[in-house]
Amino acid sequence: MRAPTVYLHNKHRTVSTAVSGNMFRAVFRLSAAGSRSLTRTRPCYSAPLAARCYSLVKEETDEEFDSRWATYFSNPDIDAWELRKGMNTLIGYDLVPEPKILDSALRACRRLNDLASAIRILEAVRDKAGPHKDIYPYLIQELKPTLTELGISTPEELGIDKL
Amino acid sequence: MTRQTHAYHMVDPSPWPLTGAAAAFLLTSGLTTWMHTQSLMLLTAGLILTLLTAYQWWRDIVRESTFLGHHTLPVQKGLRYGMILFITSEVFFFLGFFWAFFHSSLAPTPELGGYWPPAGITPINPFEVPLLNTALLLSSGVTVTWAHHSMMKGCRTQAIQALTLTILLGFYFTTLQAEEYFEAPFTIADGVYGATFFVATGFHGLHVIIGSTFLTVCLYRQVKYHFTSNHHFGFEAAAWYWHFVDVVWLFLYASIYWWGSLPL
Repeated sequence: MRAPTVYLHNKHRTVSTAVSGNMFRAVFRLSAAGSRSLTRTRPCYSAPLAARCYSLVKEETDEEFDSRWATYFSNPDIDAWELRKGMNTLIGYDLVPEPKILDSALRACRRLNDLASAIRILEAVRDKAGPHKDIYPYLIQELKPTLTELGISTPEELGIDKL
Repeated sequence: MTRQTHAYHMVDPSPWPLTGAAAAFLLTSGLTTWMHTQSLMLLTAGLILTLLTAYQWWRDIVRESTFLGHHTLPVQKGLRYGMILFITSEVFFFLGFFWAFFHSSLAPTPELGGYWPPAGITPINPFEVPLLNTALLLSSGVTVTWAHHSMMKGCRTQAIQALTLTILLGFYFTTLQAEEYFEAPFTIADGVYGATFFVATGFHGLHVIIGSTFLTVCLYRQVKYHFTSNHHFGFEAAAWYWHFVDVVWLFLYASIYWWGSLPL
């Protein structure tokens, strides 16, 4: 998590405090600075303090997210419901899943003998890319060895990509 | 002269448990027969016998309590436990249908297109009639509470007014729901969406009708001076049941109508 910085807006003084962990330290420092500036008669502009109130929970990195999802699909005992649930949750996020995750999901489809879902995954990620038309060909390119190994045709190869 | 030396009610022999069991048998065998032949005879007989059993059994309970005074405090306590346990069992009944709904909607199969609502389904807009229905049931929860407080305060006319309003709100809900069923762009046969929708909302609607009937009986009894300001358990049981019906609707509305209709 990026350390929050706190500013006291004052024409003649800027207090920036990098806080690691304890945010209350910054508040104490600020109030001391504030009272000092108030005693001056010079006109000064005091805007409300801009304080970051991030939770102390460590946010997941992109790599951790990808690994977590790849692990989810690589469970040898995953069942059909869990596969579909995982895909639905994943597709609900505001991102296009990385090839690493999709590879794991496609292998889960193979273990579950679900070719329909495997091809559907490809259709779904193409849709997720939206207007960014270069993402899908990149994904197919990265997944080509896996698609060949598992015998999964793309919607384009099957001619079902057009209505 | 002998008399009982405890406060409990040792009920007189009654034929209604037997007719009730016979009715259950006729209903089940009747339903099965109807599914395999064209005959509705057994089922109709079962329905009539069920209604007769219910009417006469509950009529006897009113006679035992209001007219014969057998419902002492311990007896009432037992009835309270009974109603609570029954409603709890109904909660589990609905839990099953909600399980079915979430099982199908959280992990939609390829046949549905892998998403929910499934391909080809136009869900009912949750902010049209269903939202009105929600307002109706919530309001009826308020009016039934108003009726209860009026009853406890001895305000006879207000109790009658509030109870009548509760029943009218319930009827309006049922009418609107029936219209929705008629107008819906999908049927119970339309895949798992139709199945989960109509079975869950259908059983709920049935419970609304049962609850409305119970409240109507209470209205009749209130008009006929059966209830006192501190002894009206029949009404309390009906109110509990009515609140339960309302809560089930809120869950139906939030999960099936609203969440279940959200697009991709």
